[in-house]
Amino acid sequence: MTRSRRLRPATVLLSVLAVVWLYPVVWTLSNAIKSSADIYRAPWDVPWPPAIGNIAEAWSRGQLGVALANSVVVTGLTVTLVLLLAVAGAYSLTRLRPPARAALLILILAPLIIPTEVLIVPLFSMFRSFGLINSLPGLALTNVVANVALATVILTGYFRTIPQALVDAARVDGAGRLDVLLRIVVPLARPGILAVAVLVAVLTWNDFSGPLVLIQKPDQFTVQLALTRFSTLYATDQGLTFAGMAIVILPPLLLFLVFQRSFIQGLTAGVVRH
Amino acid sequence: MAQADRPHGPKASRWFSLRRSQRESAIDLLFLVPTLAILAGFLFYPLVYGLVLSVHETKGFDLTVFVGLDHYARAIFGDAVFHQALLHTLVFTGVAVVLQTGLGLVLAVLVHDVRRGRTFWQFAFFAPFVLASVTVGAVWKFMYAPYFGIVPTVGSAIGINTLTFAPLGDAQWALWAIMAAFLWRFTGFSMVVYLAAIQALPREYYEQAVLEGAGRLQQLRLITWPLLWPQTFVLVLLTTIGTLRIFDMVWLMTEGGPSGATETVATDIYVTAFRFLQVGYAQAMAMILLVVILLMTLVEYRFLNRRAEAVSL
Repeated sequence: MTRSRRLRPATVLLSVLAVVWLYPVVWTLSNAIKSSADIYRAPWDVPWPPAIGNIAEAWSRGQLGVALANSVVVTGLTVTLVLLLAVAGAYSLTRLRPPARAALLILILAPLIIPTEVLIVPLFSMFRSFGLINSLPGLALTNVVANVALATVILTGYFRTIPQALVDAARVDGAGRLDVLLRIVVPLARPGILAVAVLVAVLTWNDFSGPLVLIQKPDQFTVQLALTRFSTLYATDQGLTFAGMAIVILPPLLLFLVFQRSFIQGLTAGVVRH
Repeated sequence: MAQADRPHGPKASRWFSLRRSQRESAIDLLFLVPTLAILAGFLFYPLVYGLVLSVHETKGFDLTVFVGLDHYARAIFGDAVFHQALLHTLVFTGVAVVLQTGLGLVLAVLVHDVRRGRTFWQFAFFAPFVLASVTVGAVWKFMYAPYFGIVPTVGSAIGINTLTFAPLGDAQWALWAIMAAFLWRFTGFSMVVYLAAIQALPREYYEQAVLEGAGRLQQLRLITWPLLWPQTFVLVLLTTIGTLRIFDMVWLMTEGGPSGATETVATDIYVTAFRFLQVGYAQAMAMILLVVILLMTLVEYRFLNRRAEAVSL
């Protein structure tokens, strides 16, 4: 049929591009189980037996256990706080009327236009006088500020799709705001909330400039800082560097794999709502 | 009892006489207060304090002498490194916006055409977005390595003498080598945004276009592209804001080198503040960057928003 003949070039082109795109990812993962000498072989060319020892050695030499625990603390705190703030804020924004809503929306959107890079110097100075340098909750706070705007915007988009008649009916029946929020709005917006949680978790896990400036003590390092130590301290042992990277990219990759559908849905729905 | 209640009477009745909807919105507003408080403390306050820092001489991170706009004047008129950094940042952003958006659209159209395996394509192109800049930077550095790296190897395989070529060490190429890694990381984001929108476009338009004899390129130019304006608008805005601040990929791949060839405003700020400890001056540069971001956002908003709104009606 003409149709399938016409589609073929698109498939070929797309496949080539997909290989180019996936190559570095697969290469990174497969290099984790190669010795340094074999790193520049093709990704599928893993010598036998694989250098599994890389992983254990990277784990202990890079103190990845501590770093992973630190990153889990920062990410967990950030996601929890962002969700609490954004769910409440988005509820508020969907209930408010236009003049107030527009003004507040602009206020909430400010962090999207004022990046952390612009504020890093005063933030560092503030954190220093509060004793928040080397503090994981302090680092989480900067991530909350960086992410709460996006989260609120995405969730507002989601909450808008919930029929307000449903909310009003529950209110007339005597349900309090918290009841409505927790029993009606949150369950109905679960895909959006999940998407926001995954997005914020990935962005926080991957944050580099925050910990670079605010964390100096090695026992408080997040995974990203621990990795940079790899590439400077063990520059000669590239197999080890890749093993460390593979350990660190696995959690966000798995999270993305498992939640891909709702993640992308939430992201695309929220991004264009306004 | 009735008498004792009286003093409260007027106040309470005024509260209850507020229009019910006003009282309701006042309470609804409370749900936004925690977010506003956090932003006040950790966004707006540092912004104001940053302004104060930028007009003072500093010792370490402490203020010493008020110097007015001296730092700004020095950055704008007398600092060649800053000028270079600003130029690199603007050029990089301009090219990144065009390529990331354009390439994202091409990928989305291709995936939509192929139809089958959408989940796989999305995973393939979006996976780099999930990787941290530390990993992306390190992996691309390895790929760019002379003699061994994949890029020099492929280059010499197709007949270009690239074996000794070190893109990241070459002042002419370093910025564009970072650009490739940057596009690899972020194009998937543009693609998924476009793809979601393309799939929601009304099919009748295309059927009608086919009936009227429009080819595929014409369909793309006359239907898909104009109908995707809302997405293009948001993507251009997000990419601009996200790229003007670029720090981590550059820092991790070149630290602004070789000899300043990839210096961006954000790396300049970082080095000036945390290596040279010229804190007030660094913050003046940060404020200038903020003004640039605001201006660019405003200009793009003015130019693109109307077309985007016309479509969404």
